[in-house]
Amino acid sequence: MRRIFSQARKELTQLVRDRLALALALVLPLMLLFLLSTAISLTVHGLPLVIQDLDNSSASRRFADAFRASISFHVVSWPTDQQPQDALTANVARGVLIIPTNFGRNLARGVNPDVQLLVDATDSNTARIVQGYVNEVTQGFNQSTGAMAGAALVGAQVRLWYNPGRDSPKFYSPGIFVMGISMFPALLAALSMAREGEQKTILQVYVSSISAHEYLLGKILAYMLIAGCEWVLSMIALLTVFGLHVAGDPTPLLVGSVLYAFCVASFGTFVGAGIPNQAAAIQVVALGGFLLVFLLSGLIFPIANIPAGLRWVSNIVWGRYYIEIVRDALLEGGGWPAVWFSVLMIAVLGAIFYALAWVNMRRMQVKA
Amino acid sequence: MTRLVALIHKEFTQIRRDRRLAISLIVPPTLQLLLFGFALDATVSHLRMGVIDWSQTPESRELISTLTESKSFQLGGYYSSTADLSKAISRGKLDAGIVVPYQFARDLRRGTPVDVQLLINAANANTATIAQGYAEGVIQSYNQALRTDGIRPLVRMVAGRPSERGVVRTVTAFLYNPGLVNAWFIVTGTFGVLLILNGSLVASTAMIKERERGTVEQLLMTPASTTDIVVAKITPLFVLLVMMSLLALVIMRLFFAVPVRGSMLLVLLSAALCILCGIGIGTLVATFTKSAQQSQLTAFFINPPMATLSGALTPVEAMPSWMQPITWLDPIRHFGIIARATLLKGSGIGVLWPNFLALIGFTLVTLSLSIWRFRKQLG
Repeated sequence: MRRIFSQARKELTQLVRDRLALALALVLPLMLLFLLSTAISLTVHGLPLVIQDLDNSSASRRFADAFRASISFHVVSWPTDQQPQDALTANVARGVLIIPTNFGRNLARGVNPDVQLLVDATDSNTARIVQGYVNEVTQGFNQSTGAMAGAALVGAQVRLWYNPGRDSPKFYSPGIFVMGISMFPALLAALSMAREGEQKTILQVYVSSISAHEYLLGKILAYMLIAGCEWVLSMIALLTVFGLHVAGDPTPLLVGSVLYAFCVASFGTFVGAGIPNQAAAIQVVALGGFLLVFLLSGLIFPIANIPAGLRWVSNIVWGRYYIEIVRDALLEGGGWPAVWFSVLMIAVLGAIFYALAWVNMRRMQVKA
Repeated sequence: MTRLVALIHKEFTQIRRDRRLAISLIVPPTLQLLLFGFALDATVSHLRMGVIDWSQTPESRELISTLTESKSFQLGGYYSSTADLSKAISRGKLDAGIVVPYQFARDLRRGTPVDVQLLINAANANTATIAQGYAEGVIQSYNQALRTDGIRPLVRMVAGRPSERGVVRTVTAFLYNPGLVNAWFIVTGTFGVLLILNGSLVASTAMIKERERGTVEQLLMTPASTTDIVVAKITPLFVLLVMMSLLALVIMRLFFAVPVRGSMLLVLLSAALCILCGIGIGTLVATFTKSAQQSQLTAFFINPPMATLSGALTPVEAMPSWMQPITWLDPIRHFGIIARATLLKGSGIGVLWPNFLALIGFTLVTLSLSIWRFRKQLG
């Protein structure tokens, strides 16, 4: 036990003396959390929209005003003698709404006037949102003219749970938080382990009286502490700046976090022990920590949309389970019944990484 | 001139023997393009909807089946109490729920407006926005059918005959990507990210290698000027990266069928500018760090912000308004605009010249800065 603590202390001393590494461990996760959480969002507002009013009647102007009044759009002027598509190819607008001639007359006569909406679908998700917004504004206009009154027999009372303001950072920031925790402690652990291999200092460990388990646990403990510091700093940011709060039972989050720190530190140690080359180890951890956790964990894009051939990979992406735990603790508050499986999976994956690290470390001796 | 050619020749030979570099320029970009293109899809579909049907009438079943048979929702099971339903939503078993009240059918027959309650897990704002739009659309067309056909039969949903007063209807045409293929957006953006990130990574490794091994002294002993040395270092990297970008274009065409509607030359030219810009950034990072390990770690401070602010994976319009002007300082942003506009929309240089000029500007600035730093260091 004493040896484990001294090993951990040695690691921490080494880390504190490396300013770049220390910045990486404590500043970068916070920086990423702020930057990515504010920048990443799929719900667009203030989309530039061109309205070509070929009718120029009072009704058509009222219709156009409905769009000017909405916060979802930002109406851009475009000369009527120019092709409307040119506004899209020139990147001036995301959509063009064409109000046909006789719009006002048809509306008054009770004939349904069709308006044409051209959407720039280069970004398909935004295109869908534009269509949805335009339909909502049109529906509002119809209701205001009285055409829809009495017709809407069934009304939908929509309740948005857990995030009623549809605030994107609330959803993404827990994910980014997990990404930071997945990447940096693992990166530092891998670097320190690879350095021992690269500089052959691992031989000194082999001749000392410390056992392989004590050595590994000491290293892992040190990087778990780093992960813990990161966790506290980022959690403070989540709870204050991003306005999240602990919903429901916090024990799954606490247990899951300790296990996750172990899992991540073991992953780093395992990579470092397997690849005794610092530059290569960085690349592998970046690939594992960043690419897998970023892509296949449901951080931004839902897992259900990943093609089935790739989807199974997400079952072994450790970050995915922790994201589920954090989101549950901060948004949905389902507690143990909702996330017990994720906590279990993190423990299992952590144990596997630890075993792999141990196997690799034994091999290191042969290589050194 | 011959001196420069000889130096370039030396660099080419050196790179040809470095198989790891070649592999690192083929395998990761291919994997990233494929993974990003196939896996990153924001389409909202098959949301599991739990149902509480207190009405238990043909009318309520009609409404529920129109909702759950649509592309975006699927039936997630029937529940008998709101407590069970909300528990299922909070445990993540359902994404949405609908509650049909007891008097639903009775009110409909009497012609009294009746509300159904729709619960959506809005933790994911994008999903919630789109799901709400879908659900309201379905209910709206249900209403239209009610109005035109009476309560039963509701089979002729689509028709919708004109009512007494004019109702404005929008006819939507999705231009440039009528199939709404999300991968087209993702891969064109990823392409730009790959150019800059790989350019900077490769350049910083190459620049630092010579210094780490101390062979830079040998180069300085030759009569070649420092500019010669830098240009000779950059040329083979540039050629390699151009080959990588061609490979990326082939992948985009083969696997994702990205159309080429504008001039390919414009895309290639801006890709070349992007590569040079990436090389400039990499060289600059290399002059500030001492080892390959340090320069790679420093890259963690530069790459994620560049990739995020570029709008390559998420739309810039969704960023906060104070952040949007900053994105214009990101070369990937300009490249993304050029690539998307040329490939998908067929725009030409006539509208894209500001972005093109910006790319040229960034390239000149980063390259000359890096050469200046490099010379200062050697001198």
